[in-house]
Amino acid sequence: MSKIISIHSFRGGTGKSNTTANLAVSLAQMGLRVCVVDTDIQSPGIHVMFQLNPKDIKFSLNDFLWGKCEIEQTAHEVFTEDSKGRVFLIPSSMRTGDIARVLKFGYDIQLLREGFMNIISKLTIDVLLIDTHPGLNEETLMSIALSDVLLIILRPDAQDYQGTAVTVEVARQIEVPQMYLLMNKVPDLFDKTETIEKAQEAFTCPVIAILPHSDEMMMLASNGIFVRQYPDHPITREIGMVAQKILG
Amino acid sequence: MSLSKIRLPKGMRALVLIISAALVYGFLNAYSNRLLLPSAPFIALRPQVVLPFFLGLVFGPWVGFLTGFLGNMIGDALCGYGCWTFWNWHIANGIYGLLPGLACYFGLKEIRTLRRFVIMETIVVATNLVAIGVAVLADLFWLKTMQFPESLNSWILPALITNIVLSFVLVPLLLVFVKFIVITVETRITLVLSWLIVSIVVISATAVTWTVWNDLTSQAASVQAFYSAGIVTVLVVIIGFLISVFLAHRITDPLANLGQAARQIEQGEYQLPVLDTLDKRSDEFGQLATVMRSMASQIEARETRLKNQVAELKIEIDRTKQDEDVREIVESDYFKALRQKARGFRTTSRIDKEEEIKDATPKDDESSSI
Repeated sequence: MSKIISIHSFRGGTGKSNTTANLAVSLAQMGLRVCVVDTDIQSPGIHVMFQLNPKDIKFSLNDFLWGKCEIEQTAHEVFTEDSKGRVFLIPSSMRTGDIARVLKFGYDIQLLREGFMNIISKLTIDVLLIDTHPGLNEETLMSIALSDVLLIILRPDAQDYQGTAVTVEVARQIEVPQMYLLMNKVPDLFDKTETIEKAQEAFTCPVIAILPHSDEMMMLASNGIFVRQYPDHPITREIGMVAQKILG
Repeated sequence: MSLSKIRLPKGMRALVLIISAALVYGFLNAYSNRLLLPSAPFIALRPQVVLPFFLGLVFGPWVGFLTGFLGNMIGDALCGYGCWTFWNWHIANGIYGLLPGLACYFGLKEIRTLRRFVIMETIVVATNLVAIGVAVLADLFWLKTMQFPESLNSWILPALITNIVLSFVLVPLLLVFVKFIVITVETRITLVLSWLIVSIVVISATAVTWTVWNDLTSQAASVQAFYSAGIVTVLVVIIGFLISVFLAHRITDPLANLGQAARQIEQGEYQLPVLDTLDKRSDEFGQLATVMRSMASQIEARETRLKNQVAELKIEIDRTKQDEDVREIVESDYFKALRQKARGFRTTSRIDKEEEIKDATPKDDESSSI
């Protein structure tokens, strides 16, 4: 039985795409078949994490939404673990014309849902991860509405707090079954337990993990998958725990 | 026992100090006459000559002068020469305390640097020259007990050299002992080198003199002297080498410890037991170790302060603004339609899943969470 998980942050620069990619690999390493959908059509980026060359992308999510192809034609296998674990990536188009077109006309939730359902059944996907666009525009709300789990990423930062509070409330109104907060780029000086308690109290939402501000992670930032490069790193273990918890 | 804590004696105390020092000096003068230089049988080896010098440098001109003057008088009396016979030598011995006393009076308080060390050694040489010069001149013009210039080689020069050499070795030793000379890298190197030079001179001179003295009739005497000097040179080179190795270690060991301490600070360890002996030293390494230790505790304090600040950090949310923003979104037609659709999707997917479960496996935990 498969799960749809949206990964969202109110503002950019929280490490959302990075966390999504790492979470995907971590789930695949557990033997699951994972599909990452880049619905951040306005500013796609996660393909860089998986070192997918834009020239090798024949069909993107945009092409599916305009009826140019079937959804399974857009999925690119980007990671293989043993015989079972897989990560597929459905990228967004990098062409500015395509981006402008989506911005102008938008797309239909029914179609998006069909796409998700089809890819899940065609590729026997266990977990569908949706990398959303920051903010709360219509497409993002659509992704959240279709999800079983919403993972909100935030930094310890006043503006992130305010935006996250709004997102949590909106997601609650849209009746997302499960919601978690993940605090990223938290300096070591913060007391972990206390930060978790305070965040849970302020947002009335469980905190799934506190990830430190790591120089190694910064260095690798958008240039490779951290959990692959540093299999024994505490951050890798932490992401593994997030993967476990998110599966329920 | 730091010198800055010794108060200069006044009144009765000064008198007691002068009298006891003079007695010690006189006693030593009277009974050390058996140490004779081989080349000058009339000149005693008198290590106590540094006493008035030392007291003058530490306590000032009066203490220095009177110790030398009275001490020599007491020594002469004990030897049976009479109290006033060689009065010129009382003055000479007084000068041994007077000149360094004047240096003290004019501000030579503590020797930390090479410059001050050189000043001190210059005073040593000057004091010897002036003191013996005064005594000789007084003899020439008033007492007329010696023949000049014959006595120049037989005892004036030997006496001068003996006293200078002894002062060179012993004065710094005493001053180090009372911490008038503070051991810094500069003074340490200077001390070691000056002692090294002095020992080279003394050892080679003594060796040569002994050879000549013991084998005066032999034709081979001068050749033998060269051999001895050669052997002495080799010994001195070896000893000098050993001393330099030791010296190098004295400098590099603390550097290694300081490096270790820096690495520990880097790793967030602020106790630094590696500096325990080092920061008690008075030299530059000791100062650096002290600074490093205080730096570490400052860093630790700052870090703790930051941690406390962070613990107090609050997550502040403007609830009014939040409500406004939420309302703006959820009250839009788009949102209402979306919610309606989402509800529909969830119901159908739940039905799908339940059917799926019925078809496949017995109900498991996952179904309840969705």
